[in-house]
Amino acid sequence: MAEIQFSGVEKDILQELMNIGFGQAAADLAQVIDLSIELSVPDIQLFKASELREHIGTEADSDQEFSLVEQYFLGKFKGIALLVFPAKAGKKLVSLFGLQDQSNKPSQHLELLEKEVMMEVGNILIGACVGKITELLNDVVIYSPPRVMIQDVRNSALPRNLFDPSSMAISMKTVFHFEQQEISGQLFLIANQESITWLKSALHAFMEQYQ
Amino acid sequence: MIFSQISDMINMGLVVLDKDLKVHFWNRWMAQHSGIDSEKIVGQSLFDFFPNLNEPKFLRNCRSVFAFGNFAFFSQKLHRYLFPLRPSYSDKEPFDYMQQSCTMGPIRDEDKSVRFIFLSVSDVTEVVKYEEQLLEMNRKDALTGIFNRRFFTQKLQEEFIRGRRHNRPLSLIMIDVDHFKQVNDNHGHQVGDEALKALSTRLLDRIRKTDILSRYGGEEFACLLPETNGPSALRLAEDLRRIVAEENWVCRGVSLQMTISIGIAEGHPEMADGEALLKKADDALYEAKAGRNRAILYD
Repeated sequence: MAEIQFSGVEKDILQELMNIGFGQAAADLAQVIDLSIELSVPDIQLFKASELREHIGTEADSDQEFSLVEQYFLGKFKGIALLVFPAKAGKKLVSLFGLQDQSNKPSQHLELLEKEVMMEVGNILIGACVGKITELLNDVVIYSPPRVMIQDVRNSALPRNLFDPSSMAISMKTVFHFEQQEISGQLFLIANQESITWLKSALHAFMEQYQ
Repeated sequence: MIFSQISDMINMGLVVLDKDLKVHFWNRWMAQHSGIDSEKIVGQSLFDFFPNLNEPKFLRNCRSVFAFGNFAFFSQKLHRYLFPLRPSYSDKEPFDYMQQSCTMGPIRDEDKSVRFIFLSVSDVTEVVKYEEQLLEMNRKDALTGIFNRRFFTQKLQEEFIRGRRHNRPLSLIMIDVDHFKQVNDNHGHQVGDEALKALSTRLLDRIRKTDILSRYGGEEFACLLPETNGPSALRLAEDLRRIVAEENWVCRGVSLQMTISIGIAEGHPEMADGEALLKKADDALYEAKAGRNRAILYD
């Protein structure tokens, strides 16, 4: 497949759009989850879909264990969202969100609660970030249920049904931080090549509103 | 017309809520399973009918779907259900309420802003029942109904780590039925199987609920004794040995005498892992087997 070029201007527009989108996401998240959350200035990169491992491996601090929440988003903007928490964050999140067990199964209790809270937080964070960006670009997406995995992030690969290994992918990364409890993690929104083509025209349409 | 028929014919619950979380739509499935008619609930607050949903997580996810237009997923794993509805097949159900997998999502108006949220409710009771059966099979020995070796090995590691972390005693006993091969050879495997079942039941009667008794091999049993030191474990083992030896076993009309040999070991912080504790008990069992009908504590 042909290399997709993303001009400097296009990258600037996307950067700006993401600043707006993530800014709104952070503000609304404070209302929704009743906690203040900080989202860093997003970092945009294009890379080959087969090189996800290298991409995330260099991005994520690689010597610790991670919990990974993944979720597909499907619209004109299409791809996968990956939320990377340090494995230890689960317990902190459980207390932060004050979750109660309803299952009466003590043996599976904490592990299940941690998974559950990571899925819920992941689902909301991903929904906020993807939702705001697609809203600005006038798209509507649907989502798959989130999945949580405790593993070495570098072993993950992009799903072939969405990402042809030879195609390009675009990654938008932000670092999030819950201020009350020292919990930080990284969120990657990775869209496939088809979306990049659409994204370019949507970005131009977005700019036209201001011209 | 078609869509309103679909929503009333579909085999799942559909609920639409407005921004104040009042019910805007309630399909026939919901009416049938809850016993609350659409006319009665539409326009009313959902929480007037289902106060259990007025809790932080549900509210948080409603806010999220209205704010971001995302989906929220309420899996059966933790929640078991959102709506306390009777199970479809109410006799002999292991659950008080229908197990549900629910999804919440946005309904938008022409300018794409989220005006309503929907909730879809799927009955997953049968799937959960099947899953629990599989989990049970994965933990239990098919013949005796006590735990199997796989589950025991897993618990051994967990209890070993827990005991060491909290500095609590932990003992393990290994039990072997003496000359069991002769029971099978003289009376057939069916009698042998009956004998193993009866023996398991008797052992189970004597130990505590928190002890973990498993069938470790053919006629070998292993029992994990949390919060128990070596001498106490030895006393228990002596008791078990005596109970088995004094019993007149009758299996399928055949009178049997059985004795057991027992090896006991207590965990120590310097042991590498649960396997090391098992090895010590096994060594003690080997020694006990030399004389039969004995219980020996490893020292």
